[in-house]
Amino acid sequence: MNLSGLKRFLRRATPDQDGRTRILARRIYILPTGYGLVFGALVLLMLIGSINYAINLGFLLCFLLAGLGLVTMIHTWRNLLGLEIQLGRAVPVFAGDQACFELQAINPHSRERPGLAFGFQKECCAVLDLPPRETLQVRLCSPTRVRGWFALPRITLITRYPLGLFKAWVYLELSASCLVYPTPGKKNPPADAPDYTSSQKGDRGVGVDDFVGLRHYRPGDSPKHVNWKAVAREQALQTKMFGGDRSEQRWLDWHRLQGSTEHRLSQLCRGVLDACEEQEEFGLRLPDFELCPDRGQRHRHACLEALALFGTES
Amino acid sequence: MKQIPPSPLSRHRQLALIILFFLASLPHIHHLAGLISGFVLVMVVYRLFAISWPRLLPGKLLLILLTLTALANVILQYPLLIGRTAGVALLCSMGALKLLEMKSQRDVYVLSFIGYFTLGSHFLFQDQAWLVLYVILVVTGFTAVLAANSRANPINGLLPSIKTALVLLIQAAPIMLVLFILFPRFTSPLWNLGPESDQAVTGISGSITPGNLSQLSRSSAVAFRAEFDDEIPPPEQRYWRGPVFTNTDGVSWLPVESENNLRVAPASGARTLDYSVTMEPSPGRWLYALEFPSHIPGNARLQADFQLIRSTPISRRIRYRASSVVDYRINTSDPDQLQLALALPSTITPRMRDLVKDWKGRAQSSAELVLTALDYFRQQPFYYTLYPPELGENAADAFLFETRQGFCEHYATSFTLLMRIAGIPARVVAGYQGGEVNPMGNYLIVRQSDAHAWSEIWLEGEGWMRIDPTAAVAPERVENPLDLNQISQLVGSPVLYQHSDNSFIGRTIKKLGLSLDALHTAWYRWILGYSRERQSHLLSMLGLGFLQGTKLALGMVVCGGMVVLVMVLLAARESSRPKNPVVASYHRFCKRLKLVGLDRQPHEGPNNFAQRVINQRPDLSSKVTAITQLYVGIRYGQLDSRERRRHLKRLVKAFHPAKKGT
Repeated sequence: MNLSGLKRFLRRATPDQDGRTRILARRIYILPTGYGLVFGALVLLMLIGSINYAINLGFLLCFLLAGLGLVTMIHTWRNLLGLEIQLGRAVPVFAGDQACFELQAINPHSRERPGLAFGFQKECCAVLDLPPRETLQVRLCSPTRVRGWFALPRITLITRYPLGLFKAWVYLELSASCLVYPTPGKKNPPADAPDYTSSQKGDRGVGVDDFVGLRHYRPGDSPKHVNWKAVAREQALQTKMFGGDRSEQRWLDWHRLQGSTEHRLSQLCRGVLDACEEQEEFGLRLPDFELCPDRGQRHRHACLEALALFGTES
Repeated sequence: MKQIPPSPLSRHRQLALIILFFLASLPHIHHLAGLISGFVLVMVVYRLFAISWPRLLPGKLLLILLTLTALANVILQYPLLIGRTAGVALLCSMGALKLLEMKSQRDVYVLSFIGYFTLGSHFLFQDQAWLVLYVILVVTGFTAVLAANSRANPINGLLPSIKTALVLLIQAAPIMLVLFILFPRFTSPLWNLGPESDQAVTGISGSITPGNLSQLSRSSAVAFRAEFDDEIPPPEQRYWRGPVFTNTDGVSWLPVESENNLRVAPASGARTLDYSVTMEPSPGRWLYALEFPSHIPGNARLQADFQLIRSTPISRRIRYRASSVVDYRINTSDPDQLQLALALPSTITPRMRDLVKDWKGRAQSSAELVLTALDYFRQQPFYYTLYPPELGENAADAFLFETRQGFCEHYATSFTLLMRIAGIPARVVAGYQGGEVNPMGNYLIVRQSDAHAWSEIWLEGEGWMRIDPTAAVAPERVENPLDLNQISQLVGSPVLYQHSDNSFIGRTIKKLGLSLDALHTAWYRWILGYSRERQSHLLSMLGLGFLQGTKLALGMVVCGGMVVLVMVLLAARESSRPKNPVVASYHRFCKRLKLVGLDRQPHEGPNNFAQRVINQRPDLSSKVTAITQLYVGIRYGQLDSRERRRHLKRLVKAFHPAKKGT
């Protein structure tokens, strides 16, 4: 760990072997809030008044309020103690969008934990009341600016329950990242039109245009392509096969674009999105990296990931 | 889930705060000036309407105007803004204005804090037990509002928040108790506040009006200190006699100025007490001595009505020696004195005469009539309070038949008047009763708060004798403050020096209901009258007598800290996760693998991890497989049994993977 200076002394809650972060007593910070200080001043004022007029009932109320303050401190601390946090998945986003992380707040105890606020630094946040023995989803979002891996920032979990006189908080250091794709460029730039090359596979390629024959149904085949007439005749499930809807394949090529790296990546990103929208088969060519023409969600993600991480891993 | 910042206050919360503020200021309403109370009430009602019609709420300009009006109102009623009544008036007015301005979460805090403070201010004026219950009730209400306010989402119904508040307050009670018992009590105020302590010199003054002694008795300033040559007499003998008030116009009482000195020396002193008194500056010229002074200090004289008067004013601290006899009897019958002690003011009302007539019908002798009168105070709902209500023109009548709440001077003056109506010579004596034994120096500290008034009556054959009607109502005011067991025996006994009818008094005591009396006494003793003396007595009873001064403060912090620590430990124990021994065993297994460089990743399931380990370390294959299969079987399969658990534990215990290459 190369934490420097103050950071080294920061108490942070980190996940255990099961990926679950349990908030331990020593990870919790607690300080009076502004209201707490005012409350303290009020009790002090009452005490001085009671001493001065020698009013025992004044003492009684004063000490009851002082006790209330102390008890509140324990309750605020206990509101975080033993709470468990489990990290969920983060969906990739485009740079400039909000990167959102899913957390699960787990209450393993039979007491309620109201007024929990999750947030990054001072930005707020998601607040919730966690019922006894329940798990609630928390979604935390943070704006992204650059492509690449966006590491989950340190999360601050704050509570002021029960009276708002004390504020207890804990820093959650969860290791998670969200993939940030480049910002897509402008739609259909005329100058940077992608090129098409002819397909070597010709008409035998897999497509949607020409019917080429039948094969046995495999799980995952689109129901649109099932030969329902045959099913109606009580034959086995068959899938219709279609071939080469277009003889060209689209290549998104780094070298055919001009401008800065980021500009080119943006354009390529736009190209990927457009191609996917039009359900075209496309390949991606970057310096030292090439993805063969394909289609589908997985391909789309592979391309966008390559764009997102271009030049970052070296 | 929602965004926190500023959400407007819900109607329910507004309503709760308005009602709570109203309840918090309610006990003040009757004693504040009419215009102040009226302002507060109007604001509360106005704000209640504004819940349904928010458009009614004042704009900035109107709010400023209202604030100025409120300020002007307070200043007009209490011109110099001095004293606690003015402070309370200001507090209530400003709180009412804050109701109008209540918008955000912040205002919930401001109003609650104003509420807490207002609730505390009631104790400046009243000290009844019901008030404490009422205050705690309203404190619970404010606490519940704060609890509801710190939740993320509004909760349905009042009960959950009230329950939270009650839990908090019940848990706060032990801390309160420790602090209340151990907080060092001061012997003098930090500084003087308010007009009632503006006089440079406090003390019993030259006249007595119902109400002025009770005001004096709220001051804890020292009147004098007395050092006894021998042992300090018990509290019921500590009647320090001062001015004697014989002349009255029905409202205030004045002493007789006469040059006649006492001619007859007191007879039959069973025991003589010798002592010296160090007296603080006092407004009158009276010296205070125990009943009955046998040796008087030089430069003072004993008047015919037994007032001990100094020739020069007491503007500086003085010290004098005196001797007194206890168990005395004085058979003087100065006709002038008796004549004066029978004079009736013009304020005697028919119902007072009827009352005495009724007693006379029942009593055989004068002594029995006195007892009947005392019984009247005992049986009717008379209440002893430091904060008596204001009485009208005819104080005695109003007190006897209407308010029935009074301090000692109310009892003494009205009793004296009733005796005079009955034809028994009577007069009022003021002085001090009791005093606090300083355990450090074996002397008695007598404070202004010990100021007391009682009656003296003259009976044929007996002479002048002391009757303390306050003792009939609040025996704890007079009796030994330190021994609970004595109360029941002492009820009534300090009233008379001797009483012939023991059985009569015995029956009366039974009628009183001893339990109620004990409760009342305990309230007075342990709460209202818990003083430095009682504190040190209690501590020495607990074996903590060494806790004094700074040590006591330290002890309070330590004890309070211990209570908090216990609470923290309880909270921590309750929050610990019940450890699953199976999981613990598996974690130990993972830890040992980590030592040899095989770290389990958070996302890796037990089976995947085992596979990776076996790939990298084929030599551990059999053990790792066995442990993983057992663990997975117990944890996720149906293969849980005690033997299997034990087996897993054994296997893990014996699992010591060697480092690679060694």
